[in-house]
Amino acid sequence: MAGKTAIIASNGSLFDAYKVYNIATAAAASDHEVAIFFTFEGLNLINKEAYEQLALPEGKEQMAEGLRAANVPTIPELAEMAQELEVKFIGCQMTMDLFGLEKDAFIDGIDVGGAVTFLDFAKDADVTLTF
Amino acid sequence: MIKTDQILDAKGLACPMPIVRTKKAMKDLEPGQVIEVQATDKGSLADMKAWAKSSGNQYLGSSEEGNVLKHYLRKADQTEEKEEVQFPHTVTNAELQGQLGRGDVLLLDVREPAEYAFGHIEGAVSIPLGELETRVQELDAEKEVFVICRTGNRSDLAAKQLAEKGFGRVKNAVEGMSQWAGETKQSNS
Repeated sequence: MAGKTAIIASNGSLFDAYKVYNIATAAAASDHEVAIFFTFEGLNLINKEAYEQLALPEGKEQMAEGLRAANVPTIPELAEMAQELEVKFIGCQMTMDLFGLEKDAFIDGIDVGGAVTFLDFAKDADVTLTF
Repeated sequence: MIKTDQILDAKGLACPMPIVRTKKAMKDLEPGQVIEVQATDKGSLADMKAWAKSSGNQYLGSSEEGNVLKHYLRKADQTEEKEEVQFPHTVTNAELQGQLGRGDVLLLDVREPAEYAFGHIEGAVSIPLGELETRVQELDAEKEVFVICRTGNRSDLAAKQLAEKGFGRVKNAVEGMSQWAGETKQSNS
């Protein structure tokens, strides 16, 4: 592995999802070991129902057309690709409890853990990002 | 048209897909093989270079055809970095430079066509190492032959082959193109 990238996803709009998954897949394709910790609204990015229809930020709704025209992959496609590239997904247990969500509300292949699970991964990461 | 071992069509794909696809395609290549990646994402120009650097592969160059960028990458070959050079007759690049003007001298570049295309010494004959066995008759055995590659390892193997085929005066330019300070020509269009 050429490096280690730790990402916190804590926001849930479509733009946030692209920021998280683009960096994660690019890092994984560059041989980084990558983990994403999904917490608070960031859980939308792995929520089976929500991640197919994430909202654009307020006032940016007209950009939906631009995203289609640019042939940008969908969020489910990017999430699947990230998992194929062995990006580790960690759902935050505390926020899942807070929102009343069980593990089966989320896409397959995720781990569920607390803040310490992420910190253990992030403590020797070369790149740490928060979105 | 530059000959490569594989062509990857990543046209129409946005960042980071060209890189993700390249990474996947590279997995199936043999060390030393060359891939052409076709992309329309303008950011791929900077990304390919950076990706090659971080992944240890060799970025050869890019050319542009209309709105399509063609990137050329060569999969890393660990043996090239480690193997000892064995062919006894060698020249440095400085010595080679001094010999190139002579009429009875032939400079043979045994790198892959895409490596040659993005920078070679003027007048160098291009025959990739893998094709030397079958194309050796294209070379004049009476001439003194200097063999060059990127780091002196492929040229070492080529020099041995030529000596076995009856070439009397063969030398390995052991420093290779990676340390060549003189002028180079491109033929990538």
